[in-house]
Amino acid sequence: MRIPSLRFIAILLTFALFPSVPLRAQTVNPSELDPSDRDLLLKIQQDSLQYFIRSSNKDTGLTRDSSLPGSPASIAATGFSLAAFAIGASHGWIDDAYARQYLSKTLKSLLQQAEHENGFFYHFLDAKSGRRVWRSEASSIDTALLVAGALLAAQYYPGTPIAQWSQQIYDRVDWNWMMNNRELMCMGWTPENGFLSYYWDSYNELIILQALAIGASKNAIPKEAWTAWLRREEIYEGKRIIYSYSGSLFTYQYAHAFIDFRPLIDGDINYFENSVRATEANRSYSLRSMLQRKGYSPNSWGLSASLGPGGYRAYGGKPGEGVEDGTIAPYAAISSIVFTPDLSLKAVRHFYEKYRDRLYGHFGFRDAFNLDKNWWAQEYIGIDQGITVLMLENYLADGSVWKKFMANDAIRKWIELSGIKTAS
Amino acid sequence: MRKERRKKFLINRPFQFRYMAILTGVLVSVLSVAFISLYFGIWGGVLDAFSDEQVQNDLIMASRMVEYEKARILSQEPEGALGFFKQAEKLSLRQRDIFKNILDETNRGLIPKFLLLIALIAWASIYLSHKVAGPFYRFQMSLKNIRDGNFSSRMFLRKSDEGKFIAQQFNQTAEYLDRFVGEIKALVRQNKDNPQKLSQKLQDKLADTKTSADS
Repeated sequence: MRIPSLRFIAILLTFALFPSVPLRAQTVNPSELDPSDRDLLLKIQQDSLQYFIRSSNKDTGLTRDSSLPGSPASIAATGFSLAAFAIGASHGWIDDAYARQYLSKTLKSLLQQAEHENGFFYHFLDAKSGRRVWRSEASSIDTALLVAGALLAAQYYPGTPIAQWSQQIYDRVDWNWMMNNRELMCMGWTPENGFLSYYWDSYNELIILQALAIGASKNAIPKEAWTAWLRREEIYEGKRIIYSYSGSLFTYQYAHAFIDFRPLIDGDINYFENSVRATEANRSYSLRSMLQRKGYSPNSWGLSASLGPGGYRAYGGKPGEGVEDGTIAPYAAISSIVFTPDLSLKAVRHFYEKYRDRLYGHFGFRDAFNLDKNWWAQEYIGIDQGITVLMLENYLADGSVWKKFMANDAIRKWIELSGIKTAS
Repeated sequence: MRKERRKKFLINRPFQFRYMAILTGVLVSVLSVAFISLYFGIWGGVLDAFSDEQVQNDLIMASRMVEYEKARILSQEPEGALGFFKQAEKLSLRQRDIFKNILDETNRGLIPKFLLLIALIAWASIYLSHKVAGPFYRFQMSLKNIRDGNFSSRMFLRKSDEGKFIAQQFNQTAEYLDRFVGEIKALVRQNKDNPQKLSQKLQDKLADTKTSADS
């Protein structure tokens, strides 16, 4: 009989000590955080913010998609940058005058310089000129993330030109045009081929797009669009999960970075609780492959779209496609902190203490790593640093992003029109 | 028509050579500015956009763009030849865009230079034409004065004006006429009481002159 290896025994012990599905994840109250944990989280947040300070063009304010040399500006990363600057200034990490200057410059570039079609910005722009590059599409979701970032920044500077310009950017978007006379929103449009053949048809980050499109004061889409997309569900390890096709963690995070779903009930779905379950499921899915993958462990998880040894891929767990190859994206575990604070905190500690030398740099955690292939990303991805900043802000600052963003008229309008109930 | 054909192209070598040099100089400077701007604008852009490092970055970015697209639409296309062709297509489109941008930027850079050159050419045209038009005008006025009987009229040209040798001849002619008519007038004054003597003197004086009324 074959003697079980030490690794196998260790894994069995791990399963026994750390159940793959925790009983209740939200146990760490931010106010009761150990000071060293709080300091670490603040350090990560502040370092991640540095990405936006260093990677935004000094003239246009447009933020590079990644730290890769030659990377173009990404409109979604720019949206996160607007939010990150406002957050940084609110804590005094950035000089307020500098933040105002950056926000003004960027919003003006977006209004006057950045190429767009009916208000929808092209996914990738030349950071210097604002011109479309790589024949990218006028992107619906990336524009939504930009608008969300601008509206959030506006809430930090009410009654200023920053708020005014943010609203102008929002008002300029013809959300209805992107419907292409259908029930669902199209993913994008190119001058060469017109509307793409892909539509936002099921649960994922589309919620932020739908919320802004339905709640818009100009060119809003019909409220029926809210019920048109598919809420695909599955019982995973005994829990019902409305899941995204990729099963990538970011799909359960992006809308939640801005919208406080905790009190909102859509039919019988609470998307916050759903994200908690989906995060736990994602972790659990990777733990099931611990035997095959060196990198997976109870404190080392986070399957989400990221760089990997073979390039950028939409890694994810179950329910969903569950594409994985042993690559872990630290940002995914960190940005789940509002859903699974206990698990996320342990993961953060683990990543930082064990892999700091190879995984942590000037802008926080690099994008991903894969122990099986001894592969370590050298790059930072803008949107991944952005979601880190926002989710840590929600966790550490008592949901301050949520509070500000939920004060938008557009969000109130979306809640009212889409029939979402607010729990008392 | 044949009668008017020029038999000699260089009838006033210094004058013509000077103008040939000026016109050639203007044309050469315009063409030089255009050529140098185009050459260095395009070549500088190409060197920058197609440096080893930039091409390497573009190759990586082309691959990244395809990966992004696949990740978003969750394409299950197998890696390999198809992926390679997609990356090649992305890169090719990107390079076309880059080259178009280089040309556009070079052309944009040429506009202020050309505006400056047009201003320079306009100024040069006025200056050069004035060197010729000015003397023409003075000729016109001086000839009118003579036609009106003012034989004391002379032509005075600026230092840089063309046609000084003609002006000199004109002034010599005017001076001769002035003197000739002055002498006739003096004869009339001196012999107003002796018509016969006056007639004889006038005949002698006009004997060497030739007019269309002689025939």
